[in-house]
Amino acid sequence: MLRRILVLSLLFLLGISLAACGGTDQAGGDEGAGTPETIKVGAIYPVTGALAATGTDLTNGVKLAVEIVNGEFPDLNLPLAAEAGLPNLGGAKVEIVWGDHQGSAEKGMSEAERLITQEKVVALLGCYNSAVTATASQVAERNGVPFLNPESTSPTLTQRGFKWFFRTTPHDDTFAKNFFQFLEDLKATKGIEVESLAIVYENTLWGSDVGKFEKKYAEEFGYKVVEDLAYPAKGTDVTSEVQRLKAANPQVVMQASYVSDAILYMRTYKEFGFLPEAILAMDAGFVAAEYLKTLGEDGYYILSREVWALDLAESKPIIAEVNDMFRERFGYNMDGNSARAFTGTLVLLDAINRAGSTDPEAIRQALLETDIPADQLIMPWEGVKFDPETQQNTKGKGIIVQVQDGKYLTVWPWELASADLIWPMPGWDER
Amino acid sequence: MAAVNTVEILVQTAVSGLLWGFIFALISVGLTVIFGVMDIVNFAHGDFLMVSMYGAFVLYSFWGLDPLLSLPLVVAFMFGVGVLTYRLLISRVLDAPMLAQIFATFGLLVFLRGAAHLIFHADYQSIKNPILSGSFELFGVTMSVPQVVAAVGAMVITGLVYWFIMKTETGWALQAVAEDKEAASLMGIDSEWMYSLAWGLGSACVAIAGVLLSNFYYIFPEVGVMFGLIAYVAVALGGFGSVTGALVAGVIIGVAEVLGGFLIGPEYKYVIVFLIYLAVVVLRPKGLMGKA
Amino acid sequence: MLHEVEVLRRFAPPRLGRFVVPALLLLLILFPFVVNAAFYVHLMILVFLFAYLGQAWNILGGYTGQVSLGHAVFLGLGAYTSTLLFEWYGVSPWIGMIAGGLVAMAFGLIIGLPTFRLQGHYFAIATIAVGESVLALFNSWDLVGGASGIYRTIVPESWWAMQFHSSKDPYYFIALGLVVTIFTVTRLIERSRLGYYFRAIKEDPDAAKSLGIDTTRYKLYSMMISAFFTGLAGTLYVQYLLFIDPEMVFLLMLSIQICLVPVLGGVGTLWGPAVGAAILIPISEFTRGYLGGSAAGLDLVVYGALIMLVAAYKPAGIMGLLRKAS
Repeated sequence: MLRRILVLSLLFLLGISLAACGGTDQAGGDEGAGTPETIKVGAIYPVTGALAATGTDLTNGVKLAVEIVNGEFPDLNLPLAAEAGLPNLGGAKVEIVWGDHQGSAEKGMSEAERLITQEKVVALLGCYNSAVTATASQVAERNGVPFLNPESTSPTLTQRGFKWFFRTTPHDDTFAKNFFQFLEDLKATKGIEVESLAIVYENTLWGSDVGKFEKKYAEEFGYKVVEDLAYPAKGTDVTSEVQRLKAANPQVVMQASYVSDAILYMRTYKEFGFLPEAILAMDAGFVAAEYLKTLGEDGYYILSREVWALDLAESKPIIAEVNDMFRERFGYNMDGNSARAFTGTLVLLDAINRAGSTDPEAIRQALLETDIPADQLIMPWEGVKFDPETQQNTKGKGIIVQVQDGKYLTVWPWELASADLIWPMPGWDER
Repeated sequence: MAAVNTVEILVQTAVSGLLWGFIFALISVGLTVIFGVMDIVNFAHGDFLMVSMYGAFVLYSFWGLDPLLSLPLVVAFMFGVGVLTYRLLISRVLDAPMLAQIFATFGLLVFLRGAAHLIFHADYQSIKNPILSGSFELFGVTMSVPQVVAAVGAMVITGLVYWFIMKTETGWALQAVAEDKEAASLMGIDSEWMYSLAWGLGSACVAIAGVLLSNFYYIFPEVGVMFGLIAYVAVALGGFGSVTGALVAGVIIGVAEVLGGFLIGPEYKYVIVFLIYLAVVVLRPKGLMGKA
Repeated sequence: MLHEVEVLRRFAPPRLGRFVVPALLLLLILFPFVVNAAFYVHLMILVFLFAYLGQAWNILGGYTGQVSLGHAVFLGLGAYTSTLLFEWYGVSPWIGMIAGGLVAMAFGLIIGLPTFRLQGHYFAIATIAVGESVLALFNSWDLVGGASGIYRTIVPESWWAMQFHSSKDPYYFIALGLVVTIFTVTRLIERSRLGYYFRAIKEDPDAAKSLGIDTTRYKLYSMMISAFFTGLAGTLYVQYLLFIDPEMVFLLMLSIQICLVPVLGGVGTLWGPAVGAAILIPISEFTRGYLGGSAAGLDLVVYGALIMLVAAYKPAGIMGLLRKAS
């Protein structure tokens, strides 16, 4: 029997070694050529598992961005749209190599490892979940590969002093603050006074962070938190949560939930007739494509901080053009997640193009020099420019949208608004 | 907004917990039937629930069948799935150690979940405006119609299963096989058929739960995860193999989760359930109604 | 003493050769020098980690027959202990590793005492219950970072701080060292009186009792050894990932993965966990890499089908296959 084990382990090691050599050979060939024909970029997202629905939205955003870069779209005022491929790299085409982290930090790390060392990607995109971004970006950091994060909002990520980590999206600290600026604005311009808040959040990394910042700013701005509700995200029902909210009777609920909980909460609110004046949601579940599709009218009138909205197209026609392309390919409208993944991808590819090579240090320098003006973005930001210290985009900005008539309409800041704020939320039977 | 009354909310919470408890019970009964007959726990039970929910969804979206109408079809289909699972997979690990059995059904779980991803993608689906929908008020307590129907269904199904096992000839045969396979086969009982029947029956029970649930719950590939775990705990809490135990334990878990979550804090609601389980089995190692 | 002899005879382990192990070890030591691809070194680290965790689980679940589905708790406690010692007091992770093992062991003792009366699934669910409760507790325990977890302070690489940035090889050798340790320990246990008692308890607890074995005490010994070694690995895990949050280390899925390894390889055998990890980890990594991207879910379908096939056709694991053939 032992001999068999030996033979087996030998075969196993041999197999691994052969596979390893295969991997390096291939990569060697790529590097040898002066101008590679394809530039490989890795993208790690939750394609399966509990967050797979969101993962699909994200990957679709990346796919569209790559298509625009690789093809010729002279009419689009976006970086790299007019020429086919990356002009400074001899028109090289971009190829995305996908990784699936299934929501697990350890798998995210494996995938980063595989994409960097096996697939020889020149840079990485991802990973949505902040915990996964944390570990995957460490692999990039160790290997000296640029990592661009388009959509994780845990503030800690850019406070780690990493050299290779860049983030385009604003983070939760900023967003939480936006909520309270919004409430102050309400008081000042519309005479709506809000005094009591309930803070509701799922109790893993993202939700807890959001809850922490909301509590911090509630104190700073002088609002009373009547219920501080952390709940397990994987539960089957939220009856006890909603009953507690009913008992606390807050004017406004600030909520951070993933999509399945968001749906569950809205159903349960309706069932028990719980109706605060407003629900201020921290995007995520409340802006996922599934949210309105599943809930229909029961999901209307919630307010959500957003990074993006379709109606911004009224002031920025480029948004409509890109969304039409997206819709044509994937059959539904873009959302905040696909728009951010799309933007992050363009920012990264633009930097690679300006670097003019696949040398990581050159790409890093190009990223640091990034300065994309607002009119070349489909985001409501003032542009993309990274802080030289934290490498966080300093020009990001949030908006607040409200679901009206099945659409997410921008209602705040007032100057970007395309619709009037409806406050308080109409009753469940009046829809 | 109406004045908030603490007692009213407490009663409301307890009632909602009770309703959820009956749904947990309905899911658990199928699991305990299988265990009672052959000492095997189906780890993929929650995913059988998921498959039945998708069954109701497919019939709804292709032929517009309301879950109430598709119920018999899905139940029949799941009966077949159960029998097939036994024939192709479980019969091979019948005499294997408990671990091999756990992992046979764990493999099935991964397989079903992956297949759901592949076929239906990760999208959240739901059945729009089923016949059973909305809620009504009784003595100031809000109850949702589909939940009440599911609760009544749980009681009826539990009663039926109990009656079937205790009072019918086939039920006696099932018990005989559970008691002693060899002796039963000497008496002319075909144990293969009995085992298939147990799997069919258990899967049919979870199909009923799935279809009733699809009236008011959204459907996605991972929907069975927490329901499956709760059913596993409920069956152990009640005592493996005990149908009435599963009913009682399901209700206890529902009330403990909802009421406990309300009183102590939602982040601990499953901790409360697990602590109840630990406390019970430390005192009664075979659960509330398990045979010693 | 007659009983003792009887026990020794009935539960003696199968004999093993001598030359194979050193040869295998030599190969593994040479591996990172021959194969200079970081991904495969990473893959081997994962294989080692799971072979190690599988073996630690095997002592309790395989040899003593107490099926635990909550072993991630011990890994997590070990990981948190050494992380906090380092972050708060600057204690070297090497000391933190031992401390983590001891904390895990103490916890094993605490949960073992009341639950060892339970049999089969009742015990398995009790371990799930403990695991899920600890997860919920850590998620809301702000002192240890709560749900936000702890980003490890990155320091210049050194053996003292157990952080390495330029190469993975040191992690590889630490993991290999752990694997060698656990396999040596398991082999020693297998041959010792302790091992015979464990097997006797697994085979037939009542008979073991009638032979004069204090079954509860030996089950506790088994739990403590298993928990201690599982806790040790927590330090490697967190030093390697350099980030920790409760969802990473206390998840039920991780516990299941841990015991899937020996189950696939062969429970209650010395080489089972090694064989299981060497098959399972590459399959999981490669199916995800090659099938996952093209059609989401296909990798899981293949993975699930494989587990079912092994369970249905080789319930004794791959080791059962080997043993039958030889």
